[in-house]
Amino acid sequence: MRNCYLGVDIGSISTKGVIIDEENNIITSCYIWTEGNPVKAVRNLIRNIKEEIPEDCVIKGIGTTGSARKLIGLMLKANIVKNEITAHAVGTLTFYPNVRTILEIGGQDSKIILIRNGIITNYAMNTLCAAGTGSFLSSQAKRLGLDVNEFGKYALKSKNPVKIAARCTVFAESDLVHKAQVGYPKEDIVAGLCKSIVLNYLNNVGKGKKIEAPIIFQGGVSKNEGVVKYFKEVLNEDIIVDKNSHLMGAIGIAVLARKNKVGKTYSLELSNVKFDTKAMECTRCSNNCELLKIYRNNELVDSWGSKCGKY
Amino acid sequence: MNKLSYPLMGDYHIPAKFLLSHVLKIDIITPPPISNKTIELGTKYSPEFVCTPFKYTLGTMLESIEKGANCLVQMGGGCRYGYYGEVQAQILSDLGYNVTLINLVTKGKTDIKRIVKEFKKIDPKFSRLKALYYTFITLKMVKYMDHVDEYIRSNIGFEIEKGAFESLKFKMLRDFQKVKSYRELHRKYHFYLKEFKNIKVHKPDDCLKIGIIGELYTIMEPFSNYFLEKELAQNHIEIKRFTNVHYLLFEKSFKIRKYLKDTKKYIKYKMGADASDNIARTKYLCEHKYDGIIHIKSSFCTPEIGAMPIINKIANNYGVPVLFFSFDANTSETGIKTRLEAFYDMLEMRRGK
Amino acid sequence: MDKVGIPRGIFYYYYGDIWKSFFDYLKIPYIISPSTNKEIMLLGTKYSNDEMCLALKTYLGHVSYLEDKCDYILVPRIDNFGLDNQTCTNFLSAYDIVQNTFNIKTLNYNIDLEKHETLKRGLIKIGKILNKKHSELVKAYKYAMKKYKEKRESEIMLNFNKLNSSKVKILLISHPYNTYDDLIGKDIIKYLEKNDVEIIFSDKLDENLTNKLSERISKDLYFKYSKDNIGALELTKGKINGVIFLSAFPCGPDSLVNELAMRKINLPYINLVLDDNSSFTGTETRLESFVDMLKGDIHE
Repeated sequence: MRNCYLGVDIGSISTKGVIIDEENNIITSCYIWTEGNPVKAVRNLIRNIKEEIPEDCVIKGIGTTGSARKLIGLMLKANIVKNEITAHAVGTLTFYPNVRTILEIGGQDSKIILIRNGIITNYAMNTLCAAGTGSFLSSQAKRLGLDVNEFGKYALKSKNPVKIAARCTVFAESDLVHKAQVGYPKEDIVAGLCKSIVLNYLNNVGKGKKIEAPIIFQGGVSKNEGVVKYFKEVLNEDIIVDKNSHLMGAIGIAVLARKNKVGKTYSLELSNVKFDTKAMECTRCSNNCELLKIYRNNELVDSWGSKCGKY
Repeated sequence: MNKLSYPLMGDYHIPAKFLLSHVLKIDIITPPPISNKTIELGTKYSPEFVCTPFKYTLGTMLESIEKGANCLVQMGGGCRYGYYGEVQAQILSDLGYNVTLINLVTKGKTDIKRIVKEFKKIDPKFSRLKALYYTFITLKMVKYMDHVDEYIRSNIGFEIEKGAFESLKFKMLRDFQKVKSYRELHRKYHFYLKEFKNIKVHKPDDCLKIGIIGELYTIMEPFSNYFLEKELAQNHIEIKRFTNVHYLLFEKSFKIRKYLKDTKKYIKYKMGADASDNIARTKYLCEHKYDGIIHIKSSFCTPEIGAMPIINKIANNYGVPVLFFSFDANTSETGIKTRLEAFYDMLEMRRGK
Repeated sequence: MDKVGIPRGIFYYYYGDIWKSFFDYLKIPYIISPSTNKEIMLLGTKYSNDEMCLALKTYLGHVSYLEDKCDYILVPRIDNFGLDNQTCTNFLSAYDIVQNTFNIKTLNYNIDLEKHETLKRGLIKIGKILNKKHSELVKAYKYAMKKYKEKRESEIMLNFNKLNSSKVKILLISHPYNTYDDLIGKDIIKYLEKNDVEIIFSDKLDENLTNKLSERISKDLYFKYSKDNIGALELTKGKINGVIFLSAFPCGPDSLVNELAMRKINLPYINLVLDDNSSFTGTETRLESFVDMLKGDIHE
């Protein structure tokens, strides 16, 4: 029998799951779209994982991270629920113990994590809006009639990236349309967009942070060669992009689940688990908190959103 | 019949009500506690890029008017806070409300003569002597409250019986409202201070310590900082905070010279509002082995924006992490929680726990 | 001889003329950063904090541009012109922000009339750092002030006389560091002039008059430059057709003062708030409809 640990990272855009063993080897992993329904996404994810998991594996720990970590943590009865910043750092450190800077651009947020001697010493997350993140890139790609996956390769063709104001999605869009109408070549616009994402990231999230090598770039946008290229160019340092970079959060939380195991064995059988959420507006005071009640097999397990703490 | 009300900030509405109800023989209307409705109302009628305290106080004023108030009190100074009153009065009058707004601080100073005149207008029997006496008690009450709060802040995260501090504080404030004389207040204060010290806590010597600095209103009104202190306490963290009303009224003007001396290496002049204070506090926190600093402010708070690069520089020099929050009326609560969680995870990792 | 760098931002638009004559008289070489351009703006965003106002962002860009081109950079601090005439907190902190952001030598003086720190004392102080004699500095100061007053008086006269024009007259309420900045006000002025509008500049009126008159609009106001600005509304009362409020995002004093002024005046107005992402296309549409309305063309 092998002891294994499940880590689930439920982001706004995608849901990632990974199974590791005692030595942090990845046994199986899965990556699917969240499509606005984390509960359903996790059901699918677990079904996929169950099919691929070897017979002799027993799950000894489950961890959840990402924006829906609490909800899914209740659903899977996870033994650890942690925020994605910690999870990403732990995951990356498992494979790159010497890393000093982690750059991450995901679907809806971007962050920077500074690590010195194996511990997080500082971090920042984007404060403004979704500009310069994955969802912004894919909407712009669509506008230009390109597939997101080709986007990066397209940018590499350009020699003269166009300047694009990318601080705000609305402005960037109008700027982009304008530049396209004026007749700039598409690859220069695409390259300009990639470059502006880098500059915007460094000016916003990376402001005042000492970016030192080794630098690891992760999150969905790290799959975009154009953005990687401009990070290298602007920072004048080598940028490492791991082939599992999109799984780092899930791996990190799986490692944490291993470290915090309670000696219990977990089942991955979810088909007989009924899991519901009910939203309601509390009318007891003028706060009108939006309460979310969580039911597992028709039993109230938690409720969130109350400001007064009565629930 | 005149009905008077005032904006809210933390628990300070208790001394405010105490003072006004003893000094003026008119109805005092306690505004409803700040809620989502307050900020929604405030935002709706506020200029677009004004700082959030304007929105909160305007929202409270509108709610007070709804409850029947026709006289309102506003105060403040140091930055554009001191100019809130006149603009808010105009907004209220444009909305068709016939209210009197009494600004306790105008052009950066308190003109006692003018205030007496305005109070006489709403209550002809207003007595200066009585006002003087109750102002004295009220200021003492503020001092005692702030003192107790300081003790609570460093211990509440470690209480054994959950909610013990909060319920005792609730009792104390209720009793404070009923005092008749300074002696009684003084006695009550000592009684409660002893009670607070009797609350059993389990505080390890090496607990995490975080200092909170930033813009004054956001620091002092828990609703506007998304109950940051409560959140930290739940994670067993000792909290140090410098700003309170007593500090602003009595200590600030004396301390600023010392602050400028302490931070000579970084700044030469006094910057706006509490900017220099916060720069000096950053240095203090770094030198006194605090694990981290949280800087909070309302969006567009100009003085604090100016202080941020310098705070960042000092903290970098000492290697102490700073978490910056800029709160607006519609900041996402989940985002704040994620950042905070990551912050104390990081602090614990730095400690090597 | 040491060369002084003068950043073309914020303070320059109030004191630039004085500084230039002062240094000219003393034969001190100086360099002024060029009009704000894309490069300077980019430097500004690089060194500034995201929430800083556009004017401060560009200012830091100008300082950065001068960083390796001179020996000293002139960065004053202006606290107040008396108790009722404070400045925006950025005027108080700009010096310390520059000092902590860049690794440069600065020339600095402080204007704080509450503590009797005047422009004269300030200029003499920096002159001494540049090894000039006291008597020479006093003469240079007098010379600079005389030249400044002459120029200023003729500018005020010219601006004030525009009120007698038969064209459509618009009062532009804006701080000079916005009005005359290439990336902020220039296109707006160009557009208005092209469309045959007479622009009255709020900063080119007698500030002794406007400062006092502002009390009729706002009695509690204590920001000197805002007072000068909205006092212009009273000074030009009945003589103008419309008002344009122009401010830099997110200007602290303007957010309140302009709001109050807009609520109190009985004139057509538009409120333009610009930041580093604003494109002129959007502004142009608003200006065009405003001017059309004032000219009454649409009703004919």
